Amino acid sequence: MSSPGVYDGAANVIAALMLLLEFGMLRQALVRDQVRLYAAQSALISVLAIVIAADRNLPDLYALAALSGTLKVVVVPLLLRRLLRSPSGDETPGVAGSYTMSPASAVLAAIGLAAFGFFSFGSLGIHSPQAPATALAIAGAMVFVAFGLMIVRRDVASQAIGFFSLENAISLASLVVAAGLPLLLETAFLFDLLLAVVVFAMLIRAHRARSESLSTADLTKLRG
Amino acid sequence: MNVAVPIPLIQLLQVLTVALAAPGLTGLIAKVEARLQGRRGPRVLQPYYDLAKLVRKEALAPEGASWFFLAAPLVAVAAYLTIPLLIPVLTTYGLPLGYMGDILGGGFLLSLASFAVAVAALESGSPYAQLGSSRAKTFSAITEPVVLFVVFTVALLTGTDLPYHLAATVRSSAGQVIRPAHLLASAALFMVILHETGRIPVETHTGTSEFGMIEEARSFEHSGPYLALLKWGSELKQFILFTILADVFLVPWGLASTQRLGDVVLAIAALLAKAAAVGCVVAVIDDSFAKLRLFKITEYASAAFLLAVLGVFTLYLGGGS
Repeated sequence: MSSPGVYDGAANVIAALMLLLEFGMLRQALVRDQVRLYAAQSALISVLAIVIAADRNLPDLYALAALSGTLKVVVVPLLLRRLLRSPSGDETPGVAGSYTMSPASAVLAAIGLAAFGFFSFGSLGIHSPQAPATALAIAGAMVFVAFGLMIVRRDVASQAIGFFSLENAISLASLVVAAGLPLLLETAFLFDLLLAVVVFAMLIRAHRARSESLSTADLTKLRG
Repeated sequence: MNVAVPIPLIQLLQVLTVALAAPGLTGLIAKVEARLQGRRGPRVLQPYYDLAKLVRKEALAPEGASWFFLAAPLVAVAAYLTIPLLIPVLTTYGLPLGYMGDILGGGFLLSLASFAVAVAALESGSPYAQLGSSRAKTFSAITEPVVLFVVFTVALLTGTDLPYHLAATVRSSAGQVIRPAHLLASAALFMVILHETGRIPVETHTGTSEFGMIEEARSFEHSGPYLALLKWGSELKQFILFTILADVFLVPWGLASTQRLGDVVLAIAALLAKAAAVGCVVAVIDDSFAKLRLFKITEYASAAFLLAVLGVFTLYLGGGS
């Protein structure tokens, strides 16, 4: 089989690593580590933006990479860790017991979801001059795995992180399909994320004040 | 150094290099691990002394064990010594016997060896040996799908499942190395190798605690030269798996492309260096991760499976381009 070329290969590898980190978040038992994985995933998308900027000569993307790096690698993870810190101690609590199925089955189910996302996006047949089709399909797989993460874990931390990484998946797709998009639109996406952070912050606060735990299991009851 | 080495001799050298270097690799890994733990550790040559000592000892068989109990170590070592004929150990070009079998053929030989040892463990009637072989068979069934998907990746990349062809494809351009399918399949294979050589996730390689024992328990009832063969066999298996990882997947450079003596000697040196480098990485990994509980092994296998499956996925949609 002919080789895909170094630029395409690098973009695909970065996308594949982001998908692997998504799976890492699915398996991770500690909130602290989940937040770290989210930060790493966000760092990767900045790296991808820089790679595309350098190869396709799109200077706008450098600014986007810097902006999204500051927000998603530094600010959002810091905020999340502050929010999830327990009121008494300074150590974030574990969410190991929040699985609705065993970790190995969760990964197998997520592989199925990823396959569905990968092949349904792949069959769209979108080809852009900016970036390879495989990376777009991987972004599709990431969207489904992020939804899977929010379904199989019953704690507010995983729900928030699943939602934020969903935004990472969409950024990846937009970078792949339309890297030449005006900077203004790209920053608008980032402000969507900020809005989501604020909303989730309020939800997490309200939940903590009510139930003193990160688990969402007691929300299924009709009365508190 | 311009003398041409006859092809049959090169083929023999492939087997001899693996056979002679395998115990040394185990010694090196033990030494590096001990150093990382702040101990002085055994000599690098210690496995050779151990084998020599065992060969001189008396061999005993449990009452009621049939002839197969003593034949199994021979079958296992014979299978392990056949594999170096099938994979690129020293040369970039396929040697005449190299096309006897493909990657699956090599896999069957590895399974045959493990099967023979498991049957011998059953023959012995010892509960620990039986426990070890039962665990080994169960867990190899769990890692089997990962290996199959790695083979699928190779098949999709090269159109064949011959190890020589994959090595040549990887050597052909940088774009082949950076292809996600290749990196994911190599990572999955590495995880399987860590499991198969008893490093991660549950075994302690020195094998003195029965709870985490898989491979080591199987040879409990063997003694003397037969135990030496079993030990040598597991060292051979480790060296062969490292060779497949390095010479087929990760760094298929440094192999001899001609029959010249200088090239072949250089290839032997390169192989030893590559195996030692993989061994050092394995030692660091072995020392820096905690062992898991036995039944957590499914989580480890599912992670490796994830890598292998994603590797195959990315090959669709225009071959990862």
